[in-house]
This record gives sequence, C-alpha cells and structure tokens, in this order.
Amino acid sequence: MSKVVGIDLGTTNSLVAYVKDGAPAVIRDKSGDGLVPSVVSIDEGGTVYVGREAERRLLTDAGRTAYSVKRFMGKGIEDIRDEARHFPFRIGGEAGGVIRIGLGSREFTPPEISAFVLRELKHRAEGFFAEQGAVDNEVDRAVITVPAYFNDAQRTATRDAGRIAGLEVLRIINEPTAASLAYGLDKRHTGIIAVYDLGGGTFDISILRVEDGVFQVLSTNGDTHLGGDDIDVLLMDSVGAELARPGRAEHAPPLRSPESVQELRRAVIQAKWDLSDREETTLNGRRFARAEFESLIAPIVERTLGPCRQALADAGFQPSQIDEVVLVGGSTRIPLVRRRVEELFGKKPHSELNPDEVVALGAAVQADILVTGNREMLLLDVTPLSLGIETMGGVTSKIIMRNSTIPATGSEMFTTAVDNQTSVDIHVVQGERELVQDNRSLARFKLRGIPPMAAGLPRVQVQFQIDANGILSVTARELRTDVEQTIEVKPSYGLTDDEVERMLLDSFEHAEADFEARLLIEAKNEAESVMHATEKSLRAPDFAEIERAELAADERQKIESVLAGLKMVLNGNDRETIQKWTKALNDTTQHLAEVMMNRSVHAALSGKNVDQL
Amino acid sequence: MSSQTTSPTLQVCRSCGAGAPVDAHFCPQCSKILSLGRHGDYFAFMGLPRKLKIDSRLLEERFRGLSRQFHPDYFYNADPGERRASLERSSYLNDAYRTLRNPISRIEYLLKVEGLAPRGPEQASKQVPPALLEEVFALNEELDEIREQRAGGAPPDTWKPRLERARTPIEAKRADHESQLQKLSEQWDAAVDAKKGTDERRAVLTALRDRFLERNYINNLLTGIERDLNA
Repeated sequence: MSKVVGIDLGTTNSLVAYVKDGAPAVIRDKSGDGLVPSVVSIDEGGTVYVGREAERRLLTDAGRTAYSVKRFMGKGIEDIRDEARHFPFRIGGEAGGVIRIGLGSREFTPPEISAFVLRELKHRAEGFFAEQGAVDNEVDRAVITVPAYFNDAQRTATRDAGRIAGLEVLRIINEPTAASLAYGLDKRHTGIIAVYDLGGGTFDISILRVEDGVFQVLSTNGDTHLGGDDIDVLLMDSVGAELARPGRAEHAPPLRSPESVQELRRAVIQAKWDLSDREETTLNGRRFARAEFESLIAPIVERTLGPCRQALADAGFQPSQIDEVVLVGGSTRIPLVRRRVEELFGKKPHSELNPDEVVALGAAVQADILVTGNREMLLLDVTPLSLGIETMGGVTSKIIMRNSTIPATGSEMFTTAVDNQTSVDIHVVQGERELVQDNRSLARFKLRGIPPMAAGLPRVQVQFQIDANGILSVTARELRTDVEQTIEVKPSYGLTDDEVERMLLDSFEHAEADFEARLLIEAKNEAESVMHATEKSLRAPDFAEIERAELAADERQKIESVLAGLKMVLNGNDRETIQKWTKALNDTTQHLAEVMMNRSVHAALSGKNVDQL
Repeated sequence: MSSQTTSPTLQVCRSCGAGAPVDAHFCPQCSKILSLGRHGDYFAFMGLPRKLKIDSRLLEERFRGLSRQFHPDYFYNADPGERRASLERSSYLNDAYRTLRNPISRIEYLLKVEGLAPRGPEQASKQVPPALLEEVFALNEELDEIREQRAGGAPPDTWKPRLERARTPIEAKRADHESQLQKLSEQWDAAVDAKKGTDERRAVLTALRDRFLERNYINNLLTGIERDLNA
C-alpha cells in the first residue's frame, strides 16, 4: 500500500511527517535535519536544486534562486509590487493574472516553484520508507497545510502545487488547527485554546473549543503578509540606511550585487536568531542589543494583536476565558513576541513542541484520520473570510459569513434584466468590506443556458459550496425549467485545470534532469563527509604518533594529495569524477582507518583490563 | 410559501431504495448515509423541538455528535454517492448549528419556517415601523440639526454630547424590545408545549415578527449614529 504523509509547506522551511503506530513523527535526513528550506534554484545547465543546496546558491547565484514564494501563491503582480524589490529573482506577470517568477531562461508560476519543494519532500519520504523496508514506498497522497487566513485563490494554488508535484491532495488544512491536533494528542483536554502562529511570511490566530475529541474552530483571523520575512526586511533596510550615512561608505561599499544583498539578509537573520537567547550580538560591525532590536520590530509584533482581539470578539470571549495558548511558527521564538502574547492572554503560552515541527505533525495526524477512518478525533474548521457576490453599484452581498464551520453552503437567486437574456455575469469575491473593489476577486463566471423568457421571469438558483478544504465550487439551476446551468469559472489569480495538467507533464519532462541533479547533490554530500572525516583524522592529537609508529613513509602525503584532488573536482559538477575521487580517497585512507580502529579497540580493551584488575 | 401543512414525512434512500423517515440521517435498511433530498427544518434536523429556548450545551452536544456521524473526513474512502451525501448533510448541519446558536437568527429562522418571514431586506430596514414613527421623527430632526452644525465647522465637543443625548431614547427602546422579544419567545414555547391551536400561535408569531423588524430597524439606526460618532 502506498504511503500518505502530512506536509507543512512553509514560507521559509517545509517539513514532511507521517504517523506510525498512532504517533506522528517528522521525517529527517541522515543528519537528523527535518527542515527543507523552501528555496529553489536553477543553474545555467537547467539543473534544479531544492532545499539546503538551493539556499547555499543564494550567496553565489541569487538571481536564479527563489525563496519565500508562498507569499506569491494565489496573488497577482499588482498585489506585490511594493515588495518585489526585496527579491533577487525576476517577478513578473500580466496585470490581473498569475505571477511569473523568472529563474534564468525559464519562467515559473508560484505553484510550480512550490511543487519543486513538495517533490523534494516526497522524495525524502519515499527514501525513508524504502529504508524502513516498505514494500510499496511510493508517497502519492498528502495533507498539506496552509495559513488559516489563506483565501480561496491561495488554497487552490496550494492544491495545484500538490497536483503538479504528483500528489493527490487529500485535504488542505489550516496550520493553527493542525498544530492544535498535534498538541491535543497526548492530553485529552477540554477547553478553549488560542493558537498564535507567526511564521516566516504569515500570521494566524485561531480560537478553538476542544471537547470529546472534537477540535472545533470558533473563529480565526490573521494576516497572510506578516511574518519573519518582514522583520528581516526591516533590519536590512535599517542596516542599509546606516551604510548610506556619510563617512561609512569607505568602510562598507554600498550593496550592489544580489549576492551581497543575500549576504546581508543572512547576517540579519543570524542576528535575529542570536537575540532570541542572548542579550546582544553584532550586526554590521557593531554591537546590536536586544532592546534596540525590540524597539525596531515592535510595530510588526503590534500588528498581530489586532487580529487576536478580533478573533476573540468573534468567538465571544474575553482574553481571560482562554484556557490555553499555543505558540506555533519560528518567529514565536522571539522573546518580545512571547511577552506580548502572554500580556494579551494573561497566561504563559505553551511551547513544549518544536514550533517548527508541530504543524507537520498535525497534518500527518489528519492524513491518518482520512485514510484509516480513525474516529478518535475530528477537526471542524471555519472559513476565514466572508464569501459574497457583486451586486448593483459594486456593493458586496455576503452569502457565506466568515467563521462559518465548513463545509458550508449558501445560495442566491438571480434573474434576467432584459427579455430573452440567456446568460448572467456573476462576480464572486471574498472579504469583509462593503465595496467589491476592496475585497478579493475570486472568480468571474457567466451563467449560460438560461431558457429565453421575459425579463425577470427566470429564477436561477446559484449554490455556493465551500468544502472541507475551504475551497469554493459553484453550481446553478434554473428553477422554472429545472435546467442545470453550465458555469465556466475563470479564477482571477489561479491556474485553469488545463494549465495544471500541462505543468504536471512539464515536470515529468524535467524529471530526468532533476533526477541527475539529485544524484549530483548526493555525490557531493558523500564527498564532503569523506573529506571531513579524513581531515579530522589528520588533525587528531595522536596522529603524529600513529604516523611514526604505523604508517608507510609516504602514506600521509598520498592521502593529502588525493584530498586536494577531491577538493578541486568538487568545485565542478561532474558527478562521475567526484565519485571516482571520493572512492580514491576512501581507498587511500583505508589503512589509516584500520589502524585508528585497532588503536581505539585496543585502548578500550586495556581500559577494561585495568578496571578488572 | 408556507408548506408546513403538507411537509413530507418520508424520504427515499438512494442506495437501496427503501423509505426512511424524513428526519433520519442514515437509512434504516442499508444503514448508509442518506443524501439530503427531503429533509426536516433545522430544529427537526438536530432533533430539537421547534422552540426558541435552546439549552446551549445540548445544542453543542448535538452538533458535535452529528458532526462525528457525517463529517466528510469519515467518508473519504466511501463511494461518490455517500461522499456527496456526507458533504450535503454536514453543510446543512453547519448551517443549522450556526442559525440556531444565535437567539436572533433563531427567531428569524422560526418566522421563516412558520411562513412569516419578512419580505426581503428592504422591509427589514428601510420602512419605518409604525410603532417607531414618533421616536424616529424626533431623532431625524435632531440628526439634521447636528449635521448642519458639523457642516458649519463646529468642533466635536459641541455636537458629540448632543448626538449621545439624541440616541438615549432609541437605546431605551432597544432594551424594551429585547425584553419583549424574550417574553414573546417564552409565550411561543409555552404555546408549543400546550399544543395550542393555529390562531393562538399565529398571534404570538405576528407579534414576534413586528418586534423583530422594529428591533432590526433600531439597530440600524444606532449603527448609523455610531458611525457618525466615530467619523
């Protein structure tokens, strides 16, 4: 039987988890790392790199490396014009259409970039299951998480990414809700929980009631454009302003290349991390204290509190009525964030589970519920935004209110304005504002096939269905004739089914190149670890003695020359040469390894003898 | 359209063709989930009497219990017909829960299923209810003067207290209406319990509808004043 997994497709990092014997676990690489940076890079030869390797390429080939792409999911170019300047890669696309990201000579939509990350996670999981001895290690189904405040277009884009990566997306679930599932596992608690989720690019707050194993979301709020990225940009701008000051120019040249911008980005991120457990660090060659950091980022942290208050009001609670507060997302490691959350709710928030991993664990639990029919727990989520249609004068008429438990339905009656009119235009939007122009346009469609009648006579009932994924579908029926209407939905910022299909085929076409890239990366990793072990041995304190007593006269020299050779070929991208030199180094150091092994065994045995005497 | 006199009592299972009571969720014959064809109103769907006082803990319990019976999560591996039935039934349950949870939407829904629904939002908010004519007239005059004052550039501390004063009688009216709605709700429940005749029930419902529309009108007025105050 093929495998199912839970995937947290994050702005900064992504993870994959699975359930074994009722307990969820993150799938890690050999070094124990569970995070796959959500970074995709493509070199001149068209080879695709994902994760750590791609992240490294930000410093050498920034223009061909995409990150934080989640911010662009389900968006149009006009939504992100202000922030596009912060990114080293090309961001384009036609007005009113989906965003295009340019890496080298190729162009990708955000779902395609995300699909590379998903495919990497799929491979990681498949490798893991194969190692576990699974007969069928294929991973073809997944639950993928999204921020609770994602709108329909953003959810659909995420589902499309899954499909392009060759995954059947069992369910799209909300990140804070997933986190609550992971937290609710060990403790069969009952009560009101607030989940505060501040990630790399998005902020969510959800208020839940947990009772009888039912996790019922009462309200949710957030900002899909607020997270650690904004803190980084703020710090970068602040350092940039410092550098531009007169008298500083000779010390540090202005930032010119995209790579130097990335270098600065890495430095501010490191400083941010440092200040989570230290009072001060250095940034831009000077002392940078936590107090200064906090006064800089206070406005960003403040922006999370409004949505918290709104969510509380929508759920009908005072902060003091919340029983437990759960922190999710890497940005909740920032002490100021913790302080402000604690002040708002008047209680210490939970952070027992790793805030980076808790969402993926919950997604795995939900995947398990879906495929096994396990009825111990049930997640009841809500739609974060009201769904409406455009009426006369550009006013929004709401059909499904925000915070309605999903699945949810709503319907609206339409008629014609002129005799024998056979179609009606309908514009669907999402948001809380009065005017259509202030809300998010989801789709426009034409109701066709209305039987010709006098104006005002047809009664077309349009049914809106939001499914358990929070994704909308529309059906319509003319009630007088009971004729089902055809609806062609043109998503405002999404891909058509045909486009998704074509991208899936494209990805197969490139799969061979991608496979070769994977082998190269694995070969390089292997070479690096052999090199590292060899260097360590050569630097061991007792090496001189070993060499004198047990090695051949030119043995060290031989090892050093092969080591240098491997180092050189590692700069290139010829996999076979790298593998050849890696093997050579392995062979050359075999005798040394044996000698060292013998010595340590001997030492251990003699130690034992001493004890026994 | 008032259909409660001819409301159906049976539905047909699309899986096995057996008949089932209209308020059943699963087929008594084949035990599969029933598609949402003929169904009862929100009260009947949740197994509650058509009364306005609902024990909120009971409502929550029913909601969770029924969710556990037909949430789409539990039909992921079922055939397409059952999956659709689970989606339809869950959606209807969620609508029912949301509507009945709130006392005001509960009254509105009762009026609708009893055939006394206000005719569209126009009636609910635009027309001045006759019982409020006097207050609304006085308020509008006051509001016009305040608007003139503001247009003339008067500072907020001169017109804000006036606006506050102007809304006091309307707020008193609102409190009065809330308690009247409460009383009428109890009368309705008593009439249901005592199995009172149609005429008597109708009288309670009509009064309930009039107070309900007046209350909506008052709320809209107060929201408008609130907006003026914050502008």
